[in-house]
Amino acid sequence: MTALDPVAYLRATPPFNGLAQPLFDLAAGALEVGYYPAGSRLVAVGGEPLQHLYVIRKGSVRLEREGQTLQVLEEGETFGYTSLITGRATLDVIVEDDLLAYRLPAQDFQRLLADAHFAGHFAVGLSQRLRSSLEHSPVTTFKADLNLEVSQLLRRPAVWVAPSATVGEAARVMRDQRVSSVLVRTEPPGIVTDRDFRNRVLAEGLGPGTPLLDIVTRPLRTVEAAVPISAAWTTLLDFGGHHLPVRRGEEIVGVLTSTDLLKCHAPGPVAVLRRVERLADRSALPGYGTKVAEMASALLAGGLEADVIAGYVARLNDALVRRVLAFAEADLGAPPAPYAWLTMGSEGRMEQTLLTDQDNALVFADEGEGHRAWFQQLAEHVNGDLEAAGFPRCTGGYMATQWNGTVSEWVQRFAGWFEARKPQELLEASTFFDFRRVGGALDLGPLEEALSSTAQHPVFLRYLAHAALDLRPPGSLMMRLRESAEIDLKMQGLSPITLLARCYGLEIGSRERNTRARLEAAVKAGLMSQEVFSGVSEAYRFLLGLRLRLQLRLLSAGKAVVNRVALSELSGIERSRLKDSFRAIKSWQDMAAYHYQASL
Amino acid sequence: MLFHSPAWDSVTYWALDIETGGLDARRDPIIAVGMLPVRAGIIKLGEAYRTLVRPEEGREIRPESVRAHQLLRGEVSAAPPLGDVLLEVDRRVREGALLVHYQAIDVQFLKRAYQRLGRRWPRPPVVDTVELILKLDRKTRFVRPADAPADVPSTNLTETRRRLGLPDYQAHDALTDAIATAELFLVLRKLLGARTLRDL
Repeated sequence: MTALDPVAYLRATPPFNGLAQPLFDLAAGALEVGYYPAGSRLVAVGGEPLQHLYVIRKGSVRLEREGQTLQVLEEGETFGYTSLITGRATLDVIVEDDLLAYRLPAQDFQRLLADAHFAGHFAVGLSQRLRSSLEHSPVTTFKADLNLEVSQLLRRPAVWVAPSATVGEAARVMRDQRVSSVLVRTEPPGIVTDRDFRNRVLAEGLGPGTPLLDIVTRPLRTVEAAVPISAAWTTLLDFGGHHLPVRRGEEIVGVLTSTDLLKCHAPGPVAVLRRVERLADRSALPGYGTKVAEMASALLAGGLEADVIAGYVARLNDALVRRVLAFAEADLGAPPAPYAWLTMGSEGRMEQTLLTDQDNALVFADEGEGHRAWFQQLAEHVNGDLEAAGFPRCTGGYMATQWNGTVSEWVQRFAGWFEARKPQELLEASTFFDFRRVGGALDLGPLEEALSSTAQHPVFLRYLAHAALDLRPPGSLMMRLRESAEIDLKMQGLSPITLLARCYGLEIGSRERNTRARLEAAVKAGLMSQEVFSGVSEAYRFLLGLRLRLQLRLLSAGKAVVNRVALSELSGIERSRLKDSFRAIKSWQDMAAYHYQASL
Repeated sequence: MLFHSPAWDSVTYWALDIETGGLDARRDPIIAVGMLPVRAGIIKLGEAYRTLVRPEEGREIRPESVRAHQLLRGEVSAAPPLGDVLLEVDRRVREGALLVHYQAIDVQFLKRAYQRLGRRWPRPPVVDTVELILKLDRKTRFVRPADAPADVPSTNLTETRRRLGLPDYQAHDALTDAIATAELFLVLRKLLGARTLRDL
């Protein structure tokens, strides 16, 4: 930000950037500028509270309690609101570097608190503050269409036919009404689409006289009329269909097609899904990664959360893997035994936002023992195709070509990991413990059971927890602009959360893989207070979003995508929220350290 | 000089900057004015006064000055006349001291304008940040000769602010320059250790 006068600077600084113009003008009209040399004490504990909200333009202040520095605030950060809201001075505020601050008198600040978004920014609780920073200001949510209710996309009421109808009758109704699906009044209701005519009628050698009941799909996968479009995408990606009946209460009010969803937001996941489904052969694989990045970028700009986007990316990647598995089966012939293609790590947790190294493995039924060569070839085909689509080979070698075997072998491996004590073994264990089946028909019950039995291996769990607690967020004193500090968002922020969440999940025998779901399970099991949960889960959302934004910026600049970021590249509000996030993580880690020594 | 001089922060300073149609106070018009007060050591943006000024008959905006302030004849032709603007300026200037960056320009133009309209210049105390910069330089040379730069420092507003750690503002907008001058004043006041108006 260069050459911004005080009013323009304030306008660009959250939460002022989200204020409606009349309210902002009120603030601008009351703005003051103060200059405070290093060493000045602006407020002392128990003394006269501050009478202004301060926005730092140049310089820095230390917040202290009993001589201990709690936080250092720099450019773009605000202080004084605790004084203004509570009417008490609970901290010493000391100027560290000569301070040029824009300030807003108490009564004007109070008036701005009428704006809910503005007030949320100054919420006293850490988690509320983090959450409000994730909400989007009116200036940034220019593509509100992602939050439209799905019912607003419906163009006509649903078309119904009687259960006694034949395929031919249904086809005539569809032609006359110009629709690509009809609902069937069975109990529960069903749906027939024009694809069914191709795949279940003509391809099977059946005729127009075929009873509709022979080909109907029941029960329906539906969405509630009031959900946003983004939620409809998730449902559609989950079941892989193209027609989505929309329900209000018990009543079906219409049928949404994937084309409707595509039209309302062209760069959305539906477009990528179509591309994947229409992949005729391997030659079309390159470019997939770019498409996913473009989608993420468009959705982020449209105001969607990074964790929601990650859910789409995971589902699209799954669809791609299934497509690639079909290519391989076409080349190699039918599988000699049932198998399951596993994805692991962040992909297994459905938390990957951009394509990263492949983490996958292959399990096949014990009767496939004599056909290892076939499965090895399958792994080679798929690993190669995924690489072509933009997933680099895993540098740690966690790929199906190296990691495949029968169910019994895998159960043994899991049992072996429970004895793991060395860092390398623990790393393997933690990667594989986030497995998720993406393709293939093999039942993974035995592996799930092995996973659920982790709680019976307390020593292993404790080692896992210690490894998780070895990753610490940076101390607040390290986080200074002038020290040109760099932060590794993954190693110092995201991984400490995912690793510890996994420990909690395994300890309570939860089958969840997703970090947020694991944290929720931990709260239910009484391992974690609601307060710690909100702090940590908001920190996680914030970090995931921040990383995605930074990585997309790197990508569009043609640079390598990394997890490190210099503090100076962040805005004041981002730095401030980053510090809040690290504090939330640290206090959770302190509790976890106690938990894993005391109770295990 | 034995009169009592008031504490520096008991005085109201009206920071002022004007944009002109050229550099000759006798011939060129004032075309914009920006003012705001420093009260008790705090800059009050809410009391800012900014206006364009309609040039008097026969006074033109020189092309070379347009490059700096970007103001064209058409933009200022609907602005209030100089007489109205001087009434506003006068009311403020009489409240305390006048704060400018380089009085040889701003104060000269004002005095000439007063004169042309047959008004009496109120002769407020003038604090000039250019003088304060030079004063600070002399002080540094005297107190810590080793720290003093070889050359006399630049007195340019933007460069001085940068040197003293203040942010960049868009130059050549009358009000923004007045704000920039007021902030610079607060920093210089501190560095000089000035306690009374007379010290400034």
